[in-house]
Amino acid sequence: MTTSLVIDTSTTRTSVAIVSDGITIALLNHDDALGHGEVLPRLVSQALSQLSARNKLDQVIVGMGPGPFTGLRVGIAFAQSFAFAREIPWIGICSLDFIAPPSVPLDYLVATDARRKEVFWVRFQDGVRVSEPQASAPQTLKLLDLPSFGEGASKYGFSSDKTINYPDPLLMAGGFETALNYTAPIYVRRPDAFPAPVNVSFRPMNQLDLVTIFDLEKRSYAYDAWSMVQLKEEFAGKNRWYLVAEKEGKVVGYVGGLLIGNVTDVLTLTVDPSQRRNGIGRELLRRLIDWSRTQKVEALMLEMRVDNVEAQPLYLSFGFVEISRRPDYYGPGITAIVMRKDLT
Amino acid sequence: MNQNSNIVLGIETSCDETAVGIVRGRTLLANVISSSVEEHARFGGVVPEVASRAHLEAMQSVITQALSDARIALTDVDAFAVTAGPGLIGALLVGVSAASGLSLALDRPLFGVNHLSAHLAVDALGGTGPIRPAIGLLVSGGHSSILQITDIASDVQVLGSTVDDAAGEAFDKIARLLELGFPGGPAIDLAARAGDPAAIAFPRGFTQAPDQAAHRFDFSFSGLKTSVARYLAATPNYLKADVAASFQEAVVDVLLQKAIAACAERGIDSLIIAGGVAANSRLRHEARIRCERAGIELRTPTPDLCTDNGAMVAILGSLALESGAKPSAVGIGADSSPGIARVIW
Ligand SMILES: [Zn+2]
Repeated sequence: MTTSLVIDTSTTRTSVAIVSDGITIALLNHDDALGHGEVLPRLVSQALSQLSARNKLDQVIVGMGPGPFTGLRVGIAFAQSFAFAREIPWIGICSLDFIAPPSVPLDYLVATDARRKEVFWVRFQDGVRVSEPQASAPQTLKLLDLPSFGEGASKYGFSSDKTINYPDPLLMAGGFETALNYTAPIYVRRPDAFPAPVNVSFRPMNQLDLVTIFDLEKRSYAYDAWSMVQLKEEFAGKNRWYLVAEKEGKVVGYVGGLLIGNVTDVLTLTVDPSQRRNGIGRELLRRLIDWSRTQKVEALMLEMRVDNVEAQPLYLSFGFVEISRRPDYYGPGITAIVMRKDLT
Repeated sequence: MNQNSNIVLGIETSCDETAVGIVRGRTLLANVISSSVEEHARFGGVVPEVASRAHLEAMQSVITQALSDARIALTDVDAFAVTAGPGLIGALLVGVSAASGLSLALDRPLFGVNHLSAHLAVDALGGTGPIRPAIGLLVSGGHSSILQITDIASDVQVLGSTVDDAAGEAFDKIARLLELGFPGGPAIDLAARAGDPAAIAFPRGFTQAPDQAAHRFDFSFSGLKTSVARYLAATPNYLKADVAASFQEAVVDVLLQKAIAACAERGIDSLIIAGGVAANSRLRHEARIRCERAGIELRTPTPDLCTDNGAMVAILGSLALESGAKPSAVGIGADSSPGIARVIW
């Protein structure tokens, strides 16, 4: 017999259950966006009182989010300590995997409230989750036009069933074995504070940069690189904004955007291969997004090669969502992913 | 004398230190601290979101290390204590939730304690018998207060606090102006050793009438900060050491003037100085001289117990248990700025 204590604090609801081999011994929910810290111990205490003296807890199952940080950490800190004190294992799972019941359609979205006008979401195809959790603007997800569930979908008016909102501890108890396990909280949004790269300065691009950029293009994209002629045309073109990152007097990266109607098209984002993973690309993209806001555009869009797996996490972390694919966009057999981020 | 031999484990996460302390009665068994200060140094100050993430990451290993240092098992613990406020709410909640988890799992009492009181309670470590009433001068990066301690486990009253920056914050800001790095306290302390504390006459906030009347035991360090900044701007070839020493002297002078005045006014002949700034060598030196002159007993914890730590939480929990205080109710939560007299939740 296996008896589990199940905890989830990733949404505005605090959920606690004790489940023993499929039998629900206790199930307690409390809805309060800010009260997880006070509520969780009370619910657990209440649930424990339902447990007979002979029936021992064997494990703790906890939702690792994504979710608003403060509430999420309450659940995880509690679960870890409780398991530690009882000398039993704890198992972390993705809260978004346990919101929709098995009766929903096979292709769907789950979206919870990420606050700041965003939702945390995942996409399921044929009943299987096909994306890592992300945070994006709700209106971008609406474009996908899929059946949607969860607190975020309800809040932003694209839910298919407003009764399906929160992680269900009974589903968690039943499904944890086949779900992905997480040992750390699922942080999908770039932290509010992220240090700017050290010793790197940012400034608008000027004509003199073109030579360095041409060199960087070649080293980064080989045959796909822009030619000098294309670069000069780009630089001279209207409605464009180019920014370079400079380190020790050398251009080490650049970003370019083009205003088309209500959208900024991200033309390029390039970082010197030797300077990658230092936050330079992140900072360039952040500044392009900030600039776009000042231009009062609705969204940013971009196309990228489907095989550009290196760049995708950066865009995802800023809330870009894949909205379509264009086969053969970059030549025969090379599909482009179209990504969009709505500005809220 | 004192029959208290309960083992109490205390957790502290109000700011950037993840700390666990263990006491048996009033004897210190373990004091483990994991600091995220290096991460914050990249931002030049404590970032709440970074702090709270670091607490969660460090919590289990810090508890394990403390138990190992104390050579006890978790099941030997008789009661848990945790800082419930004041502090950063997201940071506090990680500690409170961890402590609640331990307490409920083992069915042991939990005491939510006040961080400020805990800073002063370290004075009881290693002692026996009744604890004498005292005036507490609590100075750190997060707080600058004068407190009257009648009973450390139940009756602590705030006589005055800073109206702007905490003393430690002032040290951080001036250190930044002087390009001495973060955290500023130790850096200024070191730089000041080569300087003349009387070189520049920086202002002493709230020591002149009419401020002194309205803010008898309050502090203000923003005027001092502005004054230093102006001096630096107006003096191209300033001596870093002199600026550091004169700034430090102004802070130390105000702190001690007010603390000693509080002792005199309340008729209390004992002063406890605690908090991170209490590790400042000039403050310790001056306090010794001025307290001796005023006939006041000076109690200063060792520097490692002055900064935020778990031992201070554990000892306050232990004193609460010793005095028969009622444990906190289940689900205490955290309070970023609790009211004055809330020692135990
Ligand atoms: Zn403190």
